Amino acid sequence: MHRRGVGAGAIAKKKLAEAKYKERGTVLAEDQLAQMSKQLDMFKTNLEEFASKHKQEIRKNPEFRVQFQDMCATIGVDPLACVSHCARPEMTFRLPALWSRLTLFFSRSYPGKGFWSEMLGVGDFYYELGVQIIEVCLALKHRNGGLITLEELHQQVLKGRGKFAQDVSQDDLIRAIKKLKALGTGFGIIPVGGTYLIQSVPAELNMDHTVVLQLAEKNGYVTVSEIKASLKWETERARQVLEHLLKEGLAWLDLQAPGEAHYWLPALFTDLYSQEITAEEAREALP
Amino acid sequence: MAMSFEWPWQYRFPPFFTLQPNVDTRQKQLAAWCSLVLSFCRLHKQSSMTVMEAQESPLFNNVKLQRSKGHLFLLPDSSLKYLWRKAEGRQQTEGKLPVESIQIVLEELRKKGNLEWLDKSKSSFLIMWRRPEEWGKLIYQWVSRSGQNNSVFTLYELTNGEDTEDEEFHGLDEATLLRALQALQQEHKAEIITVSDGRGVKFF
Repeated sequence: MHRRGVGAGAIAKKKLAEAKYKERGTVLAEDQLAQMSKQLDMFKTNLEEFASKHKQEIRKNPEFRVQFQDMCATIGVDPLACVSHCARPEMTFRLPALWSRLTLFFSRSYPGKGFWSEMLGVGDFYYELGVQIIEVCLALKHRNGGLITLEELHQQVLKGRGKFAQDVSQDDLIRAIKKLKALGTGFGIIPVGGTYLIQSVPAELNMDHTVVLQLAEKNGYVTVSEIKASLKWETERARQVLEHLLKEGLAWLDLQAPGEAHYWLPALFTDLYSQEITAEEAREALP
Repeated sequence: MAMSFEWPWQYRFPPFFTLQPNVDTRQKQLAAWCSLVLSFCRLHKQSSMTVMEAQESPLFNNVKLQRSKGHLFLLPDSSLKYLWRKAEGRQQTEGKLPVESIQIVLEELRKKGNLEWLDKSKSSFLIMWRRPEEWGKLIYQWVSRSGQNNSVFTLYELTNGEDTEDEEFHGLDEATLLRALQALQQEHKAEIITVSDGRGVKFF
């Protein structure tokens, strides 16, 4: 018997070999899927057990909540999403078919609001918190134009919840706001000087505006000179930003300040923290 | 006995004393000023004022604008004293609403029916934290409730009599009372008449 050389036959054989390889590839994927399914089932059972054991803890303790969320993030599970997915890109790339079957597996088995949120009861907590956040922002929008510090939001939310309600941390607020943001409610989170400004009204704020807000955080106001000195901008650019903030109702003009005009942001006016929402403001807040 | 007046947050907010260029913000600002003027005058039972007085009053004049709570105290000798806790190291600025802006606030109050100019040159005004029609309604309700329709009262009896001690309009100044009764007169619910030593009113 002599060896086959390169020729039509060889090409045909190569093609056959490729086809068999592909077939094996599919077979391999099926095996993997079966194995994964088993593992996922086990994982799911374990997670359910864990969740029910620690459900109370999750609801009551903000610190525990953070750790639980971090753990979920590590294993690629979002307790608040409708579909839990494993955040491992290599898998997605290498076996797209497998990936889509996994997603299908979850969404088919657990339709509706979100299996995880229902099972863990964590979703309700953030949903309710989201509603409270919106209420506070609406009530104070009249005063601060739709911009509020995380601290003030926290204070007001706690006040609204009363003495006997579950404790709520700033981390909880951020998570709830991120959810609100994802739902397209116009919420935004702007980092300023170590904390955050929460935007609840979809005012158009670009990078220039944001960076001026960050500058204003220090004293609660900002001036053209300050902007020029810190950011090295031209006068006109600084003026435009400040005009925009006035127009959006986020800033008020002060012509009695020494030197030059000061632009104050009610949202950053620290005195406001201790203020009650006046009856008039409450009236104004209602549509 | 000292009464303390709680200033609203805007009073300590420096831009409150600058008429805002943005129309929406200005509306909020004027509404807050009107509210402040009315509650201030209500607490101090001040029913009339001159523009000069207004300019000098702590109402439009935050002498030391600071980031701390300030309280206005009415002392037994009827003088007003503004006390505050000093803010450490904070910039102290003056907040003084310019007279043109004060005029704008007063005009807003006039449009809302809470203010009436007492002279043509607009140097002094009557300030009514409740509009005359509202006072008229309260008075008439009391009259009906106590079954005193068709009775005659002197103005003094209405505002200072024993019978009205529990009523909100007890102690009301005469100028405002007259306007309240005039409003009722327009509705044919009352008639202002002359009595032996002054004026009175008959209710229907």
